[in-house]
Parts: sequence; C-alpha cells; structure tokens
Amino acid sequence: MASLGALPLAAVGEVGKGFIHERTSETLPCQATSKFFCWDWAKEHLISRYETPTFQHLELVVISVAVGFVVAFALALLAHRYRWLQPPLLAGTGVLFTIPSVAFFFLLLPFTGRGRDTAIIALTAYTLQIIYRNTIIGLANVPSSVKDAARGMGLTERQTLWKVELPLALPEIFAGLQIATVSTVAIATLAAFAHGGGLGEPILREGISFKTNLIIAGGIAFLIAVSCGLLLYAIQRFLTPWRRAAAV
Amino acid sequence: MTGPVLSHPVFASIQGAIEFIFTPQTSNVTGGKTVGGIDQVIELALTQLELTALAMAAALIVALPIGLYLGHRGTGELFAIAMGNLGRAIPELALIAFMAALIGVGVLNLTIALAVLGVPPILANSFVGIHQVDRASVDAARGIGMSEFEILRKVEIPLAIPTIFAGIRGAAVAIVATATIAPIAGVLTLGDFIINQNVYGDNGVLAGAILVALLALVIEFSLAGLQRRLTSKGLRLKAT
Amino acid sequence: MSAAEATSETQSQPGASSVSYEGATKRYGSSGAPAVDHLTLEVPAGEICVLVGPSGCGKTTAMRMVNRTVEMTEGDILVGGESVRDRDAARLRREIGYVIQQIGLFPHRTITENIGAVPQLLGWKKDRIKARSAELLELIGLDPGLGDRYPAQLSGGQQQRVGVARALAADPLVMLMDEPFGAIDPINRERLQNEFLRLQAQVRKTVLFVTHDIDEAIKMGDRIAIMKEGGRVEQYSTPAEILMAPATEFVEDFVGADRALKRLALMRVSDIDLWEAPLAYVGQPTAEVRAKLAGPDVEVPYPLLVDSERRPLGWLSERDLRADTVPARPDSPLGPLLDRDDIMRDALADLLQGEAQYAAVADHQGRIAGVLSVEIISEFLKSPAAKTEEHSAVERPHG
Repeated sequence: MASLGALPLAAVGEVGKGFIHERTSETLPCQATSKFFCWDWAKEHLISRYETPTFQHLELVVISVAVGFVVAFALALLAHRYRWLQPPLLAGTGVLFTIPSVAFFFLLLPFTGRGRDTAIIALTAYTLQIIYRNTIIGLANVPSSVKDAARGMGLTERQTLWKVELPLALPEIFAGLQIATVSTVAIATLAAFAHGGGLGEPILREGISFKTNLIIAGGIAFLIAVSCGLLLYAIQRFLTPWRRAAAV
Repeated sequence: MTGPVLSHPVFASIQGAIEFIFTPQTSNVTGGKTVGGIDQVIELALTQLELTALAMAAALIVALPIGLYLGHRGTGELFAIAMGNLGRAIPELALIAFMAALIGVGVLNLTIALAVLGVPPILANSFVGIHQVDRASVDAARGIGMSEFEILRKVEIPLAIPTIFAGIRGAAVAIVATATIAPIAGVLTLGDFIINQNVYGDNGVLAGAILVALLALVIEFSLAGLQRRLTSKGLRLKAT
Repeated sequence: MSAAEATSETQSQPGASSVSYEGATKRYGSSGAPAVDHLTLEVPAGEICVLVGPSGCGKTTAMRMVNRTVEMTEGDILVGGESVRDRDAARLRREIGYVIQQIGLFPHRTITENIGAVPQLLGWKKDRIKARSAELLELIGLDPGLGDRYPAQLSGGQQQRVGVARALAADPLVMLMDEPFGAIDPINRERLQNEFLRLQAQVRKTVLFVTHDIDEAIKMGDRIAIMKEGGRVEQYSTPAEILMAPATEFVEDFVGADRALKRLALMRVSDIDLWEAPLAYVGQPTAEVRAKLAGPDVEVPYPLLVDSERRPLGWLSERDLRADTVPARPDSPLGPLLDRDDIMRDALADLLQGEAQYAAVADHQGRIAGVLSVEIISEFLKSPAAKTEEHSAVERPHG
C-alpha cells in the first residue's frame, strides 16, 4: 500500500500546500539547467536568500548551547556534590540525547506548537548529555591528592570547587562544549521541520533537485560548525597554560 | 477532579495519536484514502530499522577496522580526531538531500549516505579507545609473547569497549535521527508521519513523533545491553 | 641542648605552638575497634615528634585529627593551649602547615602561586606573597627562577620541596607531615631529610611527622611515639631512650635487633670521653717515654708517636723503645685515623675493619685528641652518662 506522501520533493507542487513551496521564477534559471553548481546565481543571490537563514541558524545554536550549558553545568555541579544523583541524571540526559530531534520537535507539538521556541527546547535537550557527562568526568579526573592538599591547607569546599577542581576540569568541560556546539550546528538544519527557521529552510523549500541551493545551505552550516569547533578549541588552549607547559 | 485534567488538549492529542497508530483513519486531504493503522506503522518502522541496520553495518565494516588498527599502531591520531570532529559537523538534512540528488533515491543509495554519517564517530572513538588503553597492560601482553593481533583482541579491545561503544551508540543516534527524515528522499520511514503533516494530520504527526522516539530508545537500550554483556566484569566494577 | 633542657620549653615559642592530645578518639561506624583509641600525648613547642608504626596503626589518622581533616569522635586536641574544636575548620587549617606524601601541588598554578596559596587565602598583598615565595624557594634550596614554572615541569624531589615551602609560607604554628619523603628515591630522600633538618634548625616549628620507617623516625625525631593498632602508644620518648631501653617487646621488634648500632649512629666521637695514650715525640729520649708508660693511670698501654705539631704518626713497639731516642719511623703503622666529628657508628666500623685495638682520634687541625677503642664505646653505652647525652634532631649528625 503506497502512501500518498511517497512522492519525492522533486515532484513538489502536485500534493497539497503544507510547507513546501513551488518553484519560483528566481530559482528556475539555475534549476532548469540542472548544473551541479551555478556560480553566477550563487553570487547574485547569496546575501538575499541566505543571510536570514544563517542568522536564524546562529541564533538557534547560540541560545540552545548557552541554555544547555547553564542547565547541564548546574546539574553536573549538583551531581558532583550529591553522588546519588548521578545515575538518574545520566540516564535522563541520555534519553533526551537519543530521541531524534525531529521527533522531539513534534513531541513538543501539543505543548509548544511549531516555531522557534520548540526548536530551541529540542536542541537544548540534545546538548545536555554531552556537557553534563564531560563536566562530571572532568571533575572526577582531578587527582585526589590535589583535593586533599587543598582541603588540608584550609580551602573551604566552595573554594576548592571553584579555585582548584573546576580549573583543572576545564579541558574536559570545554571539549564537551565544543562537541555540543558542533553537533548542534549540524542538527539545527532540522529545525526547519518545526518551522524554526535556520539553514534547513532553504533546503526544504526548494527540494533535492536544486543542487546549488543544497551546496550553499549545507556548506554554510558545515563551515559554521567547523569554525565554531576550532574557535572553542583555541579558547580552551588559551585558558589552560599549564597543559602547554607540561607538553615539553 | 480528573475531569478537567483529562480534558486538557494535551491528553486529547495523545489520545488522537494513539488512535492513529492502531486504527486506520480517513485522511482529510486525499479524498477518502485511508492512512494510519497498525499495518502501515509496522511497514514504515521496518523500513526505518532496515535502513538503520544496513547503514550501521556498513559504517562498522568500514570504520571499525581502520580505527582499531590505527589506534593499535598509535599513528594517524590527527586523522582520526579530525574525522570525528568533521563528522559531527555534517548537517544531516543537507547530507540526505545532497546524496539523493547525487546518486539518486532508493534504500541502497540512502544507506550509503547514512553510513557516511556513522563512520566518523565509530572511527574516532575506536581509535581513542584503543590508543588510551594503559600502556602497561599492552607492554605486559607483548612481553608474555602475545602476537599483535592477539593483543588487540584479548587486551586492547576488551579494555576499550566503553569508549568504542560510545562511538557506536553515537553513530546509531545520528543514523536513526537521519533515517527519520529519509522520506524527503523517497524512502518511507516512520518520519513520513511527521514530515507530511498535510497528509496525516496532527494526530499522525504526534503519532510519528512518539513512534520514532520509542524506536530510537529501543535501539539505544539494545546497544546498551549489548555493551554490558560485552564489558568484562573487572571493567564494570571499576566504572562508577 | 639536652633532652632535659628541651622539656622545660614553654607552651608557645615565637612561631610555634605545642600540640596536646587529650584522649582523642576516632571511631568509624558504631562497632569495631576505634582507629585511634583515647590518644594522650604532649608535643612541646618547637620539637619534631615522629609518629611511627606499622601500616594501619592509626598514625596518619592521629595526625589528621590535629587539623581536623579527620574529625574526632571523642576527646580533644589543644594547639597552643586552645582546642581545635573551637575554631572553624578551614580557618584552623590555614594556620597549620600540611605536607602529604603525594604532594598535591596545584597543577594549574605556577610554583610561586602554589607557595602563596595560604597567604592568598589570608589576604596578604601580592608583593608580600611574591617576596615570601622567593624567600622560601631560596630556603628550600631551589633556584628562584623556578617560581614561574608549573609543577609538571619539576622533578619529584623538587616538587616535594615546594610542598614543604608551601606549608611554611604563612608561618604556621604547627606542621603536619604525612610520609612526606615516602615517594622519593632513597638518595634524594636522604638529601631532603637533611635539608629539612637544616631548615628546622632555622625555623624551629612544632612538627608532627608520620612515617613507617623507624630509621627515618630516629633520624628526624626529637621525640618518637611508637604506635600499635588503635593509635596506642607503646613508647613515647627520645630516640636514645627507645634504642637503649625499649619499653615493650613490640617496640623492641619494631626497632630491630641492631638497635645498639642505631644508637651509635646518633652520636659523634666527640660525644664521649676519649682515653689518652702516652705521647712520644721524635727524638725524645726513650727513657722519658718508658717512664710515662710505667706511670699510674695509664689508660692506653702503648705509646703514640707524634711529630712536633702533635700529629699522630704511628704506634711505638717494645723494639722501638730499646733505642736511646725515639725513632722517626715507628714500628707499627698508625692504622685507622679518626676525626672528632665522625659519626660513632662509622668510627666503630673503621676500628673493626682496621683490625686495631686502638685508633687515634685527631681534631680539625690533625692534632691528636685522644684514642678510641671498642672497649671505650661499649663502656660508654653502659654508663649513665649515655642516657643524658642527647642531641635534638637538628644537632645530630646528618649529611
């Protein structure tokens, strides 16, 4: 039994409206030629068509990662203090991570509907496990002799956490942040399904036949992801001079 | 007391979704054709599982040997790490659409696209897992006369299971997630309910979301269980 | 300074406080024997007290109760007359130096910052901290240039020294040291022990030192507490006392069968009264020498040939004395020549190796100071003078 939704996007326009638009006169010249990549078209339309999606995309990522970091970091600090919290939190964030974002968007449908907020909630949930796990592991890897010395010298528990444990856990925490950011940039292309905007929107709108569009939109997303990864890596190296010194 | 609570729109939606899963409905768009029902659900679910399984198998066959070998030799670290990072940066939607445009639609072609997504995490994590095995254990194994392959099989892999499986599970998550949107490239999976909302209606969308989530969790739990079976007792006792 | 003088020290010296355990007890869980059972011990200010015993006897727990890194279940501990319970734990610890075996330097801070950790907590100004760090680096024998390096760039021995410097930075009243030199190789360990004793000679802190090594205890301690399980003190006394008169069989076994030799390691040749041999100068009429030999109170029945500067040249035999004047070259060679500053145990070893009955002892200028023999040594050890002749740890012979 073939479902009516089986038509590929190339045949768009024959099924009802939904969120898929028809080919416009703007895109036709490039699409009709079915060339691999139309440089001229790209140069002409780059800013006008991709500026907004790019900014939307960045907005989605920044908000999701920021909120995800704050929440996951706070949870990790709690679980570091109260060890019994660790298994349930690990399992909980794990579930949120495993559920495909597309499904997550629509699980939220009855509660938050479609739109940017739904996308942000789902993307945030996705980042939680990575950041939480890395923070916990980073804190656990601090040598116990250093903690013993800190306590014995007269640092309070709070001072030990903020002056000793967290700085030493910084590389792990940053690695988690880096992974979360890169992954979120990639996944945020799916936000278009939830009407959340972002670089997935041009792709969904035009369909798979418009290769130039795919390359541009996907390419921008990829570049953003890679640059964010490198930037965060550079920041981490800058913040941990003692690691550079030791690598002698 | 329960009256007002249960009549909240959320519960109505869930009820509608459950109905959709089990009994065929009339679609308002297609003029009389039926959608939904348990048969369609199973068909689409199986397609998604098939896609996932094929892609995972392909990714494992390609990535695992390379990652294990490089990790054992200790070379190619930059390559493996870069692979892992770049792989994470690939936008799923663009990948599916682009692959479909490039090599055409169909299950086999899509499998290749999904396998591409699965290779980086498996390769990177296998490398790191093997590479980070305590050198002392490896030296001892070599010292008592194990061949290189035996060392890999009997010492390094067992010790690296947690890290390797983290990579496998990461790959599974990415593949399942992308298989969900396979319908835009012509392969019908459970994601069809979600994507083609105009055909299946809001009930269908919610049903699809629930089904996809459940499927993903089932796969994840299976892998977790497999990992636990394969992890030696000594390692399990150590990991808290 | 003798032990008698040491005990009359007041409770607090400038820069050091006494530590007093009063029935301190630590129990883990409700049942089972306590880790430390009603420990009562007094450590006078400015002294090194070593807690030594087999693994698990509670010595580390007892030490940690002082700065409350382990909280007492019962009893009390007074530092400088004040109970440690009265103070906030974190504040208390800032006044107590803490050195542990694995050192525990902060990897993410430079050496200078590590040393300045407690001063920073106490709110010292930055320049004062820097000056203090530099001062301490010099005191522990490290190049002040190392201050800007990170711990990972230093060797194990260097790190351990920094650990000691860090503990001294805020001029604490008491120092707690838990097997501080345990993780170091034996050669550097000896060096570090000597350095610490040199340091202690200057700073005179009250030190609670934990070790499982009886030799280290004997070397480092002004007083030693030999402990059994439950932190029970079998004997608490000076090293000499413990070596000469072990209180129980446990102490005897723990100290080892060679305790007499260990005792000798604590003394110098100059500590005992040497015997005198009749001196014979080159060219002196032998009649005079024979007269000396025949005289009363002759301790050594052989004449010792010396030059005009009273430097020993050898021993004279009967044959030598048959001549009219003392010959320039003696019949018997000098044999082992000892120095007044030699460690007694080494002197005994030389004596035995040289197969001589008597050995000449010279002073710094090489002039004869006396004669030593095995008999003299054993007689001294038996005499009551041996009990009171005691050096504090910093004055004992060490490297």
